[in-house]
Amino acid sequence: MSDILEKLALCVEFGKINKISPYPPNMKDQDGADELARKALESGIKPDEILENALIPAMAIVGGKFSRKEIYVPQMLMAAKAMNSAMVHIKPFFQSGETKRKGKFIIGTVSGDLHDIGKNLVAMMIEGGGWEVIDLGVDVGTEKFLKAIDEHPGSVIGLSALLTTTMENMKKTVAAIREKHSDLKILVGGAPVTMDYCQKIGADFYSPDPQGAVNYLKQLAS
Amino acid sequence: MRAMTYQFDFKDLKITVSQIENVLGYTEGDDRTFVMDLIDELLIESQKICSVKAQYSVFNDVSFDKNSRSVNIEGISFDIKKIVFGQIKKSDSAALFLCTAGDEIGIRSRKAMQDRDFLKGYIYDVIGSEVVESAADLMQDKLEQAAASEGLKITNRYSPGYCGWDVAEQHKLFQLIPDNFCEIRLTESALMSPEKSISGIIGIGREVRSNSYTCRICDMKDCIYRKVKEKNL
Repeated sequence: MSDILEKLALCVEFGKINKISPYPPNMKDQDGADELARKALESGIKPDEILENALIPAMAIVGGKFSRKEIYVPQMLMAAKAMNSAMVHIKPFFQSGETKRKGKFIIGTVSGDLHDIGKNLVAMMIEGGGWEVIDLGVDVGTEKFLKAIDEHPGSVIGLSALLTTTMENMKKTVAAIREKHSDLKILVGGAPVTMDYCQKIGADFYSPDPQGAVNYLKQLAS
Repeated sequence: MRAMTYQFDFKDLKITVSQIENVLGYTEGDDRTFVMDLIDELLIESQKICSVKAQYSVFNDVSFDKNSRSVNIEGISFDIKKIVFGQIKKSDSAALFLCTAGDEIGIRSRKAMQDRDFLKGYIYDVIGSEVVESAADLMQDKLEQAAASEGLKITNRYSPGYCGWDVAEQHKLFQLIPDNFCEIRLTESALMSPEKSISGIIGIGREVRSNSYTCRICDMKDCIYRKVKEKNL
């Protein structure tokens, strides 16, 4: 791997967004993910290579550290922000078709539930895994999920719920998706959700942390 | 000792930067320089926007059914389940309470999230939770003092959604408290608005006691507050 990609990966791993960002202190006044992604493209490195050899592996390291409780939510959010600052330079290549994503992931917090922090963490880690994320937000009814599936056929679906009361709505949404799209993969998560519940409502995968979801999608894409 | 309403000054809550760092997961020796300034800035802002209120109502018409592990308050039966039942079953009366940090801090958190400033949104969310929990601590202290003046003691506070008590039971709790109590509304899915609000029950009596650490009795093993408390034991 080239020197610039190694530095870019480190910037994402440690949340160095851009040159003016004071964090982390040991990288002060150095280029951040923003500048390094731009320079990598200018030096002729393909956007695919930047994604595959720097950004995605760096976010996988971040996800692993979080799963092992070596870092906390703030560091993960900073890493995701650094990733986003690099992605700004890559996104035009997605739009032109020169670079392909691994797939599409539709995510939302189910009807009646307004909690979004867990959902956002999963969304940003999956985006960091190379997927296009369609975030439907919070209090998302079944019809909105079905409409998004029609607009983005073949997507993987993620449902989040933080309350035992709204887990019932998760069950209803999974059933409605299954009825129309029996082949789609559905991931569920949230504080009260368990693997047992996931199986009981007919979803495909449950993970207690974002990296588990990223790993599952990686398997699907391979 | 019947019903009391409190409006707390943010400064009375004594929320510190290190307290928020603690909830975020940081321990002694961790490098947290980048969040310290942001927490400090958002605490100053939170002081301006939080409207911290707490209320409780005391009910004397209270009975316990050990077979169903429920408590009946003024004709409404609460299915509080084994853990909460065990903690409050010796109560002679019970206080139902609500506390809130107000609407604005939740709005700020959501706005920051929408603007993709996730760290700011997350820290606002954590501050909001600490504000309402600290308000509940102060309210609980006031109730304890009032009870003590009558020779009574109180239990810890317990909320629907914790210790096996179904969050949907919050609807019953809201039936017993005056309309517009603390200006908190409840959605069909038992979500309170303002979202940084808590509700619950505290037992009162001569034979009850409060425990300094109750997380061990709860079945929510991954609860963030349990992790923080266990870390500090």
